[in-house]
Amino acid sequence: MSRAGRTRAGTGHPPDPMLGDRLIGGVLAVGGLLGALAAFLLTVERIALLKDPAHVPSCSLNPVLSCGPVLATGQAEVFGFANPLIGLATFPVVAATGAAVLARVRLPRWWWLALQTGTVCGLVFVHWLFFQSLYRIGALCLHCMVVWVAVVVLFAYTTLYNMQYRHLPAPRPVTGALLRVHSVVPTAWLLALAALIGIRFWSYWSTLL
Amino acid sequence: MSTHSARARRRATGGSNPRAAQRPRGRTAAARPGGPAEADARAGTGGAARQIRGTGMSTNLKLTVGLVAVFLAAVVGAVVVDRYDRPTVAAADLLVRPDSHRLSTAADGRVTVVEFLDFECAPCRAAYVGVEKLRAEYGDRITYVVRYFPLTQHPNAFHAAHAAEAAARQGRFEAMYKKLFDTQDAWGGRPPSQAAVLESYARELGLDPARFTADAAGAEVAARVRADVTDGDSAGVPSTPTFFVNGALFTGAPTYDGLKAAVDKALAP
Repeated sequence: MSRAGRTRAGTGHPPDPMLGDRLIGGVLAVGGLLGALAAFLLTVERIALLKDPAHVPSCSLNPVLSCGPVLATGQAEVFGFANPLIGLATFPVVAATGAAVLARVRLPRWWWLALQTGTVCGLVFVHWLFFQSLYRIGALCLHCMVVWVAVVVLFAYTTLYNMQYRHLPAPRPVTGALLRVHSVVPTAWLLALAALIGIRFWSYWSTLL
Repeated sequence: MSTHSARARRRATGGSNPRAAQRPRGRTAAARPGGPAEADARAGTGGAARQIRGTGMSTNLKLTVGLVAVFLAAVVGAVVVDRYDRPTVAAADLLVRPDSHRLSTAADGRVTVVEFLDFECAPCRAAYVGVEKLRAEYGDRITYVVRYFPLTQHPNAFHAAHAAEAAARQGRFEAMYKKLFDTQDAWGGRPPSQAAVLESYARELGLDPARFTADAAGAEVAARVRADVTDGDSAGVPSTPTFFVNGALFTGAPTYDGLKAAVDKALAP
């Protein structure tokens, strides 16, 4: 890669790969829609649980994957209302941003910085929930995990996009290196989370085999 | 390429960089290894950025797929190693000790359900609803045994198990078992010790408060709870709640329907 760059320009700096609008637009649109769908299903289950405390949600599959008890915990309403409501309000904005990018709308820098702020907050929140779910509640919730994945991917691509267009200050070589392996970072991140889940509930998973 | 990207790129690369003029990505510029783009690059005719990007993407894809493959291989390896040192069927005497708490005892002894539970675990609370329905329906047709399996991640799981065992020493295990689950929302899931709250439950149940407090904090009760945990670990109890129906680990959903199906199967002639 760098050899080709030198051959071309003779400057010693290979041209940086680019994160195209179609890729970032697609990621934002799909991630936003998936997150919104998961938040919607969680809200529906939460309401069903309110109507009937003995209701077993569709996402309760076994002792580990059981969203009912998770939804009923205090951690499921940190701000005094059900967490999924946050996702229900915010994910559609992300999806709309993705759609706008796909439609080749030029969004201002402040919009991207707002999206960056949103994804950072989402990332922090999701990791707190991850910790609570694994080490405090001791159960997983399938729809919640969809949200975790969506937020990690959305954060990774939004950040990379903002680095690429200098909305965020970042050294050029770092941005270039990350752009070259753009999907490796979120994949490694998600696999690390998956590994923690595997270890935490190892003894349970192994009984299923 | 939209004006947006081109302009932004110019800004990003310091304004007049000739690279910005090149379009690294056109609608038809899907870079194929060995394709025209690569040939362009080799000839140095200006398609380089496009080609670089193409190579970059495929390197990215290779690394991503490779990472996932390594992860899956590690999981498979761990599973294979794990299978070698795992008991498959728990010994009956391990699951039901003479001093284990029986909520009901079947005269014919045909079906024994053993539950390892943590009074502070939310899934146990959820399962409790189904268990009580099942117990009401089957009564003395099944032997129902409760074993303590408090998990260290729950701040009051041990306090609660000690409270249940202290109540058991006054003959009120079942009453405390129900009380703890019915009130889980009031004391569960918060870090400071809820021992005082649990003592108030003991008074509500009409237990001798002084004896209850002494027992709950005593070494004897703690040892009794620890013994259950040790048995659970030996039996391969993965998490809570874990059920054994006639010694076999129950792997379905711990709901009324799921448990009923397992019990009916065991009861069938």
